[in-house]
Amino acid sequence: MNRYLEIMICIACLLLSAVIYGQKYSTRSGNLKFEASMPSFEEVAAENKTASAVLEPTKGDLAVLALMKGFRFKVALMEEHFNENYVESDKYPKATFTGKVEGLDVSKLTSEPKTYPISGDLTLHGKTKKITDNAKISKNGDKIVIVGTFTVKPAEFNIEIPKLVSGKISDKVEITYNLALAK
Amino acid sequence: MNKRKLGIGVVILLVLVSGLLYGYYGFLYKPVRNIEAEKSAFVMPAHRLAVEYTSDSGKADGNYLNQTIEIKGKITEVRDSLIILNDKIVCGFDAMPMNADVNKDITIKGRCIGFDELFGEVKLDQCTIKQ
Repeated sequence: MNRYLEIMICIACLLLSAVIYGQKYSTRSGNLKFEASMPSFEEVAAENKTASAVLEPTKGDLAVLALMKGFRFKVALMEEHFNENYVESDKYPKATFTGKVEGLDVSKLTSEPKTYPISGDLTLHGKTKKITDNAKISKNGDKIVIVGTFTVKPAEFNIEIPKLVSGKISDKVEITYNLALAK
Repeated sequence: MNKRKLGIGVVILLVLVSGLLYGYYGFLYKPVRNIEAEKSAFVMPAHRLAVEYTSDSGKADGNYLNQTIEIKGKITEVRDSLIILNDKIVCGFDAMPMNADVNKDITIKGRCIGFDELFGEVKLDQCTIKQ
């Protein structure tokens, strides 16, 4: 009977610590920008201010989700082409990233950004590709701020850019992320 | 007489060309949507939109994705540039309203951009509050 009680207390302690230490950091208003402009041509860029992200602070697991319709352009026709011809957002409404921040120790974060490698799978337009990037991570008040930039090629995600406009759109798309995650 | 005909011809040609150019550039550089000024394609309670998305997000996407929607619900959270209705609908604002208080009943107009599986919530952007 005593043994049983001991085990119960142990489990309760474990659960409690999981609740206290395992608290996740998250945001639903993460900022993603992408830019595929060519010099001397019109700007090809969009911004998504409603990306979601969840960070598990002890293991460093990071999940990001962006709804493709949430990418906004300055020119309506560009937004239309992006959604209908390139990313086909009716068929593939979201882009996701699941990965890991290597060596993350939340207690050591300060307002001074430190570099951490992030690697994981980016899924977009129905295709998944491994990506790695060095992100700058800092702590701003009670928020963990993760910022960085990486480039992808549309062809890697089966996104075809027609010859007619290929001179105006870069084949290297630069993606900038800025996630301010709170408990 | 011939000169006059030529003159009229030139004027017509000019009007046509400028019209075509105007149409072409108007099409190419058409401004982005103004959700606030658009007529709502759907008007519904917030909980109904949430139920439709949680039961079948694919079907709901087919109905509501990229549409201007007006939803009525109770504010359950206010955070950053977001107002969350009924715990399930996340509304993103370009200009955050001042008078958004938790527990208030409110009607929000915005564009549906889909279902966020990380949080299990429906997302709207370019939202405005309907008085």
